[in-house]
Amino acid sequence: MSQNNNITQEQLERIERYLNDTMPDEQRRQFEHQLNTDEAFRLLVDDVKVMLLGIESAALKNNLEQFHDEMVPVKKLDQTTTTEAALKMKKTRIRMLKFMAAAAVVIFIGTFWIESRSKSPDRLFAKHFTPDPGLPTTMGATQNFTFYDAMVNYKQGEYKTAIGKWQTLLSSEQKNDTLYYFMGVAHLANGDELEAINYLQNLTENGSISFQKETAYYLGLAYLKADNVEDAKKYLTFSGTEGADQILSELND
Amino acid sequence: MGETSQIENQFKVVTAIKANDNLVLKQLYQKNYKKVEIFILKNNGSMPQAKDTYQEAFIAMYQNIKANKFTPTNESALQGYLYQIAKNKWTDFLRSSRYKKTSQMSESFHLKDEDNTLSEFDISEEEFNPQNLVMEAFNQLGDECKKLLEVYYFQKKSLREIAAVFHIGEASARNKKYRCIQKLRNLVSPN
Repeated sequence: MSQNNNITQEQLERIERYLNDTMPDEQRRQFEHQLNTDEAFRLLVDDVKVMLLGIESAALKNNLEQFHDEMVPVKKLDQTTTTEAALKMKKTRIRMLKFMAAAAVVIFIGTFWIESRSKSPDRLFAKHFTPDPGLPTTMGATQNFTFYDAMVNYKQGEYKTAIGKWQTLLSSEQKNDTLYYFMGVAHLANGDELEAINYLQNLTENGSISFQKETAYYLGLAYLKADNVEDAKKYLTFSGTEGADQILSELND
Repeated sequence: MGETSQIENQFKVVTAIKANDNLVLKQLYQKNYKKVEIFILKNNGSMPQAKDTYQEAFIAMYQNIKANKFTPTNESALQGYLYQIAKNKWTDFLRSSRYKKTSQMSESFHLKDEDNTLSEFDISEEEFNPQNLVMEAFNQLGDECKKLLEVYYFQKKSLREIAAVFHIGEASARNKKYRCIQKLRNLVSPN
C-alpha cells in the first residue's frame, strides 16, 4: 500500500462503484480513461483493491475458526473386520450356515429391541424434536446485532456457533427471556440436554410468560432426552400444545 | 458430458467464493482439511501446525481466486489447488531456518505424500503480500469498525441494512464506514 493515505470519501466510493460493477457505462469509460492516463490514480485504485481484499481476507480468517470448530470428526470404517468376515464365510459351507443362523437370531432379537426402543424416551425425543424455527432476522438495533447474527447461524443449523455468539450477550444488558429460550433450544439441538434444561428451567422459574408453552414443551423434550420421564410428562402436560399432547399419548401407550 | 458438468460446477464454486458465500466456503474448508492434516502429520507436523498451515493456504487460495489468478481446468481442480498450496507452505516451513534451528532434519529430505500426481499448478514461492498487512491492521481496529467493515465488505450488506443494525441513519453509516477505512489506512501505513 502506498504511503499516501489521503483518499476522499467521494474517491473511495467512486472506486468501489467501479470495482463492484455498479457504475453507469459513461462514468465507467471516464474511469477507465483516467486509469490508463493517470499513474497516481492507478496506484490509488490498486491501493483500494488491496485494502478491500485485506478486509475480506481478515473477515474470512475470523470465520475459519468457526468452520474448524464445527467440523465433524470422520469416523473410520473398520474395513479389515468386514473383509475378514467375508473370507471366513467363503471357507466352509457349515460356517456360512452357522453365520446365517446367528444372523437370523440377531435379526429376531433386533426386531424386538427396535420395537421396544421405538417407545423409549430417547427415541420419542428423536422422533418429535425439531428446533424452534427461530425469529426473522431483519436487522434491529445496534445492540441486537450479535443476537440476530447468531440467529442466522441458528437457522442454518450451526448451533454451536449460535451458542458461542449468544453466550457473549449473557453478561450484557441484553440478557432477556428470548435469549434464554433460544440458548435452551440451541443446546438441545446441539445434543446437550442438560445445558438446555439449565436455561429453560431458569426461564420457567423466573415466572416468565413469554414463550411459556414453547418453553415447557422444549423443557419436556429435554427431560425426555435425559430419560427423566416423570419431569418430561410434567412439563409436556403444562405446555398443552398439540405436539406435547401427541408425545404424552405415545408415552402413555 | 459428466466431466463438463463437473467443471461447470467448479466454476460455480469459484463464483460463489468470489461472492463470499459462507456456506460454500465452509463446505470447501471442511471437506478438504483432512487430506492436508494427514500430509502434515506424516511429515513431522502437529495438529495445530496442520490447522494453521491449512488456514493460511485457504486464505491464499481465496485471495488468488478473488484476484482472478485461478481458473479451474478439471473436475477437482480447486481441491487440488488448495492441497498444493498447503503442501508448498508446509514444505517451505520444513526448509526454513526457523524449522532447522529446532530440528535435526538434514538438508535434503523426502516428503511422504500418498498423492503422487504431479501438480498442474505453478505455485511459486510466496512473494510479499500487501493484503496481509491490511489483515494485521484490521485486527487492531476497534470492534465497531471491524464489525462495520466486515458486514459491508465481506457480508455485502447494504448501507441501509448497516444503518438499521447500528441504529443510525444511512448517512451516518456511510460516514462511519469512511472513517473506519481511514483508520485502517493509517494503521497500515502511518504518516
